[in-house]
Parts: sequence; C-alpha cells; structure tokens
Amino acid sequence: MTRKISFLLMFCFVILGVTAQNIEFEEYKLDNGLHVILHQDNGTPIVTVSVLYHVGSKNEPPGRTGFAHFFEHLMFEGSPNIGRGEYFKIIQAAGGQLNANTSNDRTYYYQTLPSNQLELGLYMESERMLHAVIDSTGIATQKEVVKEEKRLRVDNQPYGSILEKMLENAYKGTNYEWAPIGSFEDIDAATDQDFVDFYETFYVPNNATLSIAGDIDINETKALVQAYFGEIERGTKDIPRPEITAPKLDSTVTETVFDNIQVPAVIQGYRMPAQGTEDYYALQFLTQLLSGGQSARFQKTLVDDKAMALAVQALPLGLEDGGLFINFALPNQGYSTEDLAEEIDKLIDEVKNELVPEREFQKLKNQIESNFIAGYGSVESIAESLADYHVYFGNANLINTEIERYRKVTREDLMKVAKKYLVPENKVVLTYRPKSEQEQPADAKLKKEGGNR
Amino acid sequence: MKKLFIIALSCLSLAAVAQIDRTKLPEPAPAREIEIGDYEKFTLKNGLKVILVEDHKLPTLGWTLSFNTGPITEGDKAGYSSIFGQVMGAGTTSKPKDVFNEEIDFMGASLNVGSSSVSAFSLSKYKEDMLKLMSDVLFNPAFPEDEFERAIEQSLTGIKQSLDNPDAIAANIRGVVNYGKDHSYGELVTEETINNITMEDLKQHYAKFFKPNIAYLVIVGDINKSDAQKLVKQYFGDWKSGDVQKENFEMPNEVEKTNISFVDRPSSVQSVINITYPLDNKPGNPDVVKLSLLNQILGGNGLSTRLNMNLREDKGYTYGAYSNIGSSRYSATFNASASVRNEVTDSALVQFMYELNKITSELVTDEELELAKNSAKGSFARSLEGRGTVASFALNTELNDLPEDYYATYLKRVDAVTKEDLLEVAKRYIRPDKANIVIVGKAEEVAPKIAEFGEITYYDAYGNVVDDPTKTVIAGDASVESILADYVKAIGGKEALDKVETLEYSAKATLNMGGQSLELTRTVYQKAPDKFLDLTIIPMMGEQRQVYNAGEAKMIVGGQNVPVQGPQLDAMKYFAIMFAERFYNEVGFEGEYKGIKKVDGKDAHRIDVTIGSFTAMEYYDVQTGLKIQSDLGDNGTYVYSDYTDYNGIKLPKKLTVKSPALPVPLQFVVQEVKVNQEIDKSVFN
Repeated sequence: MTRKISFLLMFCFVILGVTAQNIEFEEYKLDNGLHVILHQDNGTPIVTVSVLYHVGSKNEPPGRTGFAHFFEHLMFEGSPNIGRGEYFKIIQAAGGQLNANTSNDRTYYYQTLPSNQLELGLYMESERMLHAVIDSTGIATQKEVVKEEKRLRVDNQPYGSILEKMLENAYKGTNYEWAPIGSFEDIDAATDQDFVDFYETFYVPNNATLSIAGDIDINETKALVQAYFGEIERGTKDIPRPEITAPKLDSTVTETVFDNIQVPAVIQGYRMPAQGTEDYYALQFLTQLLSGGQSARFQKTLVDDKAMALAVQALPLGLEDGGLFINFALPNQGYSTEDLAEEIDKLIDEVKNELVPEREFQKLKNQIESNFIAGYGSVESIAESLADYHVYFGNANLINTEIERYRKVTREDLMKVAKKYLVPENKVVLTYRPKSEQEQPADAKLKKEGGNR
Repeated sequence: MKKLFIIALSCLSLAAVAQIDRTKLPEPAPAREIEIGDYEKFTLKNGLKVILVEDHKLPTLGWTLSFNTGPITEGDKAGYSSIFGQVMGAGTTSKPKDVFNEEIDFMGASLNVGSSSVSAFSLSKYKEDMLKLMSDVLFNPAFPEDEFERAIEQSLTGIKQSLDNPDAIAANIRGVVNYGKDHSYGELVTEETINNITMEDLKQHYAKFFKPNIAYLVIVGDINKSDAQKLVKQYFGDWKSGDVQKENFEMPNEVEKTNISFVDRPSSVQSVINITYPLDNKPGNPDVVKLSLLNQILGGNGLSTRLNMNLREDKGYTYGAYSNIGSSRYSATFNASASVRNEVTDSALVQFMYELNKITSELVTDEELELAKNSAKGSFARSLEGRGTVASFALNTELNDLPEDYYATYLKRVDAVTKEDLLEVAKRYIRPDKANIVIVGKAEEVAPKIAEFGEITYYDAYGNVVDDPTKTVIAGDASVESILADYVKAIGGKEALDKVETLEYSAKATLNMGGQSLELTRTVYQKAPDKFLDLTIIPMMGEQRQVYNAGEAKMIVGGQNVPVQGPQLDAMKYFAIMFAERFYNEVGFEGEYKGIKKVDGKDAHRIDVTIGSFTAMEYYDVQTGLKIQSDLGDNGTYVYSDYTDYNGIKLPKKLTVKSPALPVPLQFVVQEVKVNQEIDKSVFN
C-alpha cells in the first residue's frame, strides 16, 4: 500500500501558478528515477526533446579528465538499432536539427523536430539512454574528432587556454581544477571498460532529466515517455558528487602564459559564490555595470575615453558549486598589460567605494529584466532552462521567478559583494604574452621595431 | 508491478500506446494544419495600414514601419539607400545621437532605421516611451553632417573591398547581364556614385517616400487591439499623407541563347561560375512551392543535393555547388553557382549543364522528393516560432494580395506536390539553353576551353564591356630586354642600383576588422646579391618571418618553422635577389613578353617571369616604364604605386597586397628606407 501511494504521487502533477513570467509546465518522475518536465505550447508545430545528464567534468574520476565531454561525442555513435553515423541523418531527414554541449556540471542533448515527429525524438534519446554502443571502433573514431576539436578550439585559438589556466589556479585540488575539454593523455590512457563504467554510472535514468517543450499533448506525451523510457533500468552504481570547496589562497595568484599571439592580454579572475546564491545575483549586476553594452564602464572609460584598451569584457562563469568573475582585457598600442590591469582595478575600487548612481542602477535592472524575458522566445531555450533550473536548484519554476531574486538586489549589495569577493585572496591574474618573447630574447632588436606594446 | 502500471494508466486516463518496436524508426504522426494568419488589419485616415499580430506569450512588443516604395533607380547616386538609415537614425532635432541612444539603452530596447523602414523593439511596458522615440526620429530626424561623412567613408572602404572579391564581382555582373546597367536591379555602386551622394539626396528620399499612405505598420507582441488602435492614432494619426510617384518596373528580356560573360582576374586560381537568368515567379504563383522543392533537390540546403553530390562529392571540383530560384513580385532570378579550380572550369560547366538538362527531362526519385518535402516542412515549422515570421507572412499576404490562408495551407501544398509536377515546372523554368553564364576568373587559362558553351563577352568589374584580354597586342619594338632596361632606368639607372649593397625598409598597413583597427608592420632587410628577410607582424596572429639566404630559405610562422621548398622556394628567390631586373637571364629568371594589357585602365607590358616551377606575371607601365603590378598566383597580387626617390633610387611608397588568404586587400605604406646602412648578418640566419 505504501508503495502504491508513493507511486501515484510521483505521477500526479502540479500546474504551477502565474508569477512574473508565465511559462507553465508539469513535472514528475518515472519509476526508474527519470525526471520528466513537460511544457506545452501549441503555438508552433515544433517540439524540442532534450535530455540533461547531471554529469560534467567535475564528476570525472582522477586521471580520466575529458570523459564527460568525450561522451557528448560518443553518444552520437548509435545503438543496436541506430547505425553508426546515422543519428544526424535520421534527425535531418525528419526535418529536425540537433546539438549537444558539456559544462563542468552537466551534459545536455537536444533535438528540435516538427511536432508530428515527437515520437522519433523520444525514440532516439531513449535508444542512447537504454543501450548506446560503446565499442572500440566508436571510441577510436571519436578520439580523433575530439582531439581535432581541442586543437581547433583550445590549442590553436589565441588565448584558448584561459579557462584551463583559470580553473587550474583558482580551484587547485578540487574537481573544478580541469576544464571540460580535459587532456588527450587521459582519454588515450582509458580502456574500453572505463568508458563502459562511466556510461553505466552516469547515463542512467535516475541521473537524467527529460525536458520536452513545444507542440505536445500532455497525456499522449506521458504515455509515449513511459513507453520509450519506462523500460530503462535504474542505475545501480553510486553517482559520485564531489564536494567542491575553493582552496585558500594567501594572496593573488599570478601566471604568465606564452601563447601564439601578438597582442598581450591580461585576465583577472575572482572566485565567485555558487550560482543561485544572493551574492551571485549581485555579482551579475556588477558584470552588467562593467561591460553590458556601449555605455558600460569598461567600454566607456577604457576603450572610448582613455583609449587604453582594444577591448575589455567581463565574462562571468557561473557554476553549480562556485564560479569565476572574469575580466578579459587587450591593451591598445602604447600601453602595457600592467597599465591596463591598474585601470581595471581602479574601476573595481570605485564600485567598492561609491554607490552606483540611481539612474545607472535602474538601467542595469532594465537591461537584466529585458534579457531575462527576451531569452525565452523559443521552445529550445525553455526546454534547456527548465532542465537547468530543476537540476541546479531543484526548482524548475525559477524559469518564472528567478527575476525576483535579481529585483531584490540593491545598490548597497553591489558595494558589499565587490568588497567581499573582488579581493586579492580570491584573485588569479593571467598575463598572456607572445611566444616569441619567451623563446628569442636575443632578437629583442627586431621585436621592438614591430612590437605591439 | 503490472497491476500498478494499469492503475497508473487509468488514473491519468492515458491513451493506450502499442508495444513499441525498437528495430524500426517510429512513424510520424499526421502533420498538423498550422493556424497562422491570425492578425487584425485597420487603416488610418491618412492611409497608414496597420497589421496587428497579438502575441502575449512574452511581455515584449515590436513595431515595424515599412514603406512600399516600389523599385528605386538610384542612377549616378547609386548606393545612397544603403547609407540612408545610418544617417537618419543618428538622433533627432531635439536629441543628439548619444542622448537618443542612451534613452534606448536605458529601456534595454532597440531601434533601427533603414531606407524603407523604421522599427522598434522593447518590453511592452515601455511601449509609450518607445513610440515617443520612434515617432521622434520618424518625424524629426536630425540628419547630422558628421554621421553622413562617416557613412560615406565607410561605404567607400566597403566598395574597395567588394571590388576585389570575385563573388561580389559575379553578383554585380549577374545584375548587369540579367537586367542591364541602367535598371534598378542591374545598376552598380561605385566610388564615383558614392562620391556623388549629397545630404540633400537623403533628405529628398525622406521627403518623397516617408508617407503614411504607402506605409504598413506591423505591430507584433503583447498589446491588445484597442490599445494598439489608440496608440497608433495618437502617434501616427497626424502624419500627413502625400502623393508618391512610384517608378514603373521594366520587365527584363528573356535570354535568347546561352552566352558567357567573363570578368578577367589574372590572379585567380578559382573560377566563380554563375548560371543565371531572370524569371517570373511572383509570391502566390501556383508554381512557387513546386519550384522551391525542385530547387531543394537540384542544389538547395544540405550536402545531398544533386549539384553538390556531383560536383563536390563525386568529382571534387569544389567545396560546394548550389542553386537558387528566387521569388519576387517584380522579377526573380535563377542562379546555379560554384567556385571551382581553374583547370576544371570547363568540366564543371559540363556537369552543371548535365544536371540542369537531367532535371528537365527525367522524373526525380521518390526518395529525393520525400527528403525535399521533409526538409521544407521542418524548416518552415521551425521558422514559425519567430514572431517576426508570422508578421512577415501577414505583410507578404497584404503586399501580394495572397489568399488569407496562403501560409496556413503551405504544408498541405507541399504534401500535394508530385514527381510529375516537378518535371513539368522544370521544363518551364529551368533553361540551360537560355542562360547567362557569368565567370570571374583567369581568362588566359580558362577562356579557351569554354567557348563551346556560348559566345564570350568580356566585362570589367564595373560592368563595362572590354576588349578580349587574352588577345595579345605586341608593341612594335618591345622586348623583355628593352622593357627591363627601361624599368632599371626609370628607378635610378644601373649605375645607381649597382652601388646599393644593403636595403632596409619598413612599412605599415592598417587592417579594419569588426570595428577594431589593427596595425601590421612589415620590415624588409636586403643585402646584395641574395640575402633577404621579410618580417611581418600581425596582431592577434603573430609574427611571420621569411628568410632567404643564397639559395636556402625558411619561413617561421607563430614560432613554427615551416619548410620552404619547390615553387615556394622559387617564389622566395624572386623576392630575394636585389634589383634582379638588371640581370634576369644571369640569375636564372626566364622572361617572356606577353604583349600589352590593361591594368587599372593603363596600358602595360606584361612579362611572365619563370623561376623553376614558379611564375610571376609582371606589368610595366608603357608610359613610365615602372613596374606597377605582379601577379603571383596563390601568393596573391602585388600592386606598386607612388614611386618615391630614396637616395637616388626610386622605390614604390605604396604596396597593396591582395590575396584570397586575406579578408581585405592590405595597403602597406613605407615609413622609412635605409640604403647602405649596416645590417647584421645574423638577421639572415
């Protein structure tokens, strides 16, 4: 009897009320632990079928970095019923499009199809959750693809190693120490069994969220979800969820990176509290203040007025268990990275010491609100946000109410978080310099004639 | 467990789902009829037609005002409509540009002005503030001088870049041959026409066309009808209507017989091929959907089209081959295109003609038709999600007098198309025998092999008919020796050149990319007879070092040592030997006189210089004797100008490098020249 009640409870749903935004959805769990979120919007005859696996690079065992991202590729290799390389073709022939992405915290897959192909989307996602092909041929193929991707996006990209270097310095000794792309050596060293273990640990219904948004009928969709996903067995292995506590830094950590670049760069990173915390929202305001648009302080002061920088941008990295407040700056000709870093520090100090004027603060609020609302114009973005909010905060309804958290932020809060987090004990500074400076000190004469500093 | 499952099912009254068979792909459900076209229309007394698409999903609101100006022939001021919006949108008589922009930013909103439109987007709660700004710029634009000057300057830069882009040249010539140079669809924007534009032209355009009686105001988003009506009356009700004289559109002539229009680009290693002709395919034409499916099969989106499978996958002639069948209420064009290697240009034309003929004579396969339909339906469905799509459907329906359910029944019409339908429209619309073939490429290599496809007419990049560049005009007594001797004399004389032991010069070029300008520096060190270092510093990409030292060469790019051999080594030798024109035959440079050619409007002797497996085409001005250009194949084209005296020898102060590898031509301007000053030998190591 107890069993029966809990079972029914799991199936019964709540329609959540209207708040700031009005994106309605239903959510429930299958018996095997798969969390399902359904958003019905019959306006357009399309549907996004997505699966979020709560596994990112931070879940990787030591010596197996890059696994989560590697699986993002491997999962397109097929199943006993879907031939190698067929996944893309099948979706395209059905008039759909698909993609996937991996972060430190999770891996996300989606396809957007004409709504009469909903069943195809469920079939394809359930096939790889049920029995993806993990064999040496697929592993070998994807190793080459992933290596090429790393060469393209990290190694050959000017400043491409920023994320790696930042995480390494700011989160040493924790599982945020490495970036999702991981290392070739670890992927190469892995055995086929390691891949199978990873799949059996993380690619299980009780670690997944199926988020469907678009032109659906709720009841029909539930029956189809049950038919395609119900038979998949709950995982039996423990899912490791590493605890991440930022290590103590005595003072600012600095590193110089010699890269294939000509314009040097300075990147300042401050460790942030986890996304979803009160202080996190205040720090998001600071990002907007410093680099949200043409009238933002970085652009106005450093690029337009003083012409010291070619470009300055705040690039916050919000994570489930922490994060980084990153400022990236390229000095203009005639200025050194040190000059520029000093000016950025001055702008940061200004926020610590002076309240942001009322009108400017209101502009930030308006911009944040406008971005928040305009961001939900497609079923793709709604499906992804619902899944993220559920997995990160256990509250999918934040898709409607998160803006309230931003609205609570005050001008005083901006000052407070600047003083609390933007401090030397939280700070990593990377300086990127051209490789030539490292390798050919004797050629100093030639360099001066063509240099860019 | 089984029992529980049944209870759960009944509890939720779920539809029964048959046992799934995982060995087969699930069948799609029947496609749903789409309900679009739910919009309101009303017209103000001044003639302004308003289309309202109510959509309360998000609390945002967009206003787009479009003027149905008809075709506009700009004549000797071609290009003015492209700068119009930038100037008109730069503030109002009461609000300078920065104030105006800050007020838009403050709302997190956006506002855009074009030559026949004004549009605004914001959260719906700011609708009144937004309308105030929008109507202010609509009724009281400032047309500031400084913005006008900036826009002219930017246009001139843009034109210089496009005239060197073979695809842009092909697009220009396409318009010229399909419609004629004086037609609104064929006229070309040149530096001259841009320089003819005055502020008065923009103001006249504004005064002539920005009238409510030719305008549609499309409102999309979170607003109800009565509010919309009230606001539209309030902000646009007093707008005075006026007579607008529209041009007549002159229909183009059908192409009588397939012919070739060739633009010679001697430095090209690829030919841009366009097979094109005007056709009549108005929105609402019953053939529109069939033509769109036909095009998808022939050369539309994706890798698996016929043209792409043939020319790319099977033959490897090109990275991609495409076709396009336009639709327009005036005149549309057919265009099949690809960029192919010089030596396969004729073979590629054979395959293009084969595919065009095949699709007009044989039924497509069931599989091809099915794929084309799915792809069309899928992308149509996805496009509908954008609110702009619904609005543009509404506007198209109005402008083209389409049935109200035109877009709502689109999927049904796609489903109804048969293989026989496609063959029937192909026979009427696909005309390989009555097409203009436009080719931009290297005439000398390509032209002799393509004569069988039609008569060739040569054009310059501005659409003017020019003489056949492959014909050789030999100047009476000119020879390689006399031309080189004249050149040596022109740059200072053999005696002066012989005294030069070392030469060092540095030059700068500015590269404008995405609003940032980067400065490139090139420094060349030369020591007689054959030591050479070219050090080029490119911000963001690194340093490039090319060294040649008595027969040995290396290139260092971003710290990587790239081996130099074969033609590349010969090319380096070409640059490395100091004033080699003095003694080409002694250092193994073989010269061949190719006659007089036009270079940038000037008569020039061409000498082809061959060093091993590398050939440079050099052009010497007939008047001055100076070398004005070298075409170096894959290495690009070097244009020399502003010859300036440095210590008794003349060197070009400006060097413009054009290359397919560069996003825009680079103009290096010499900053400093040092003659016979000590250069450390180690520089050439």
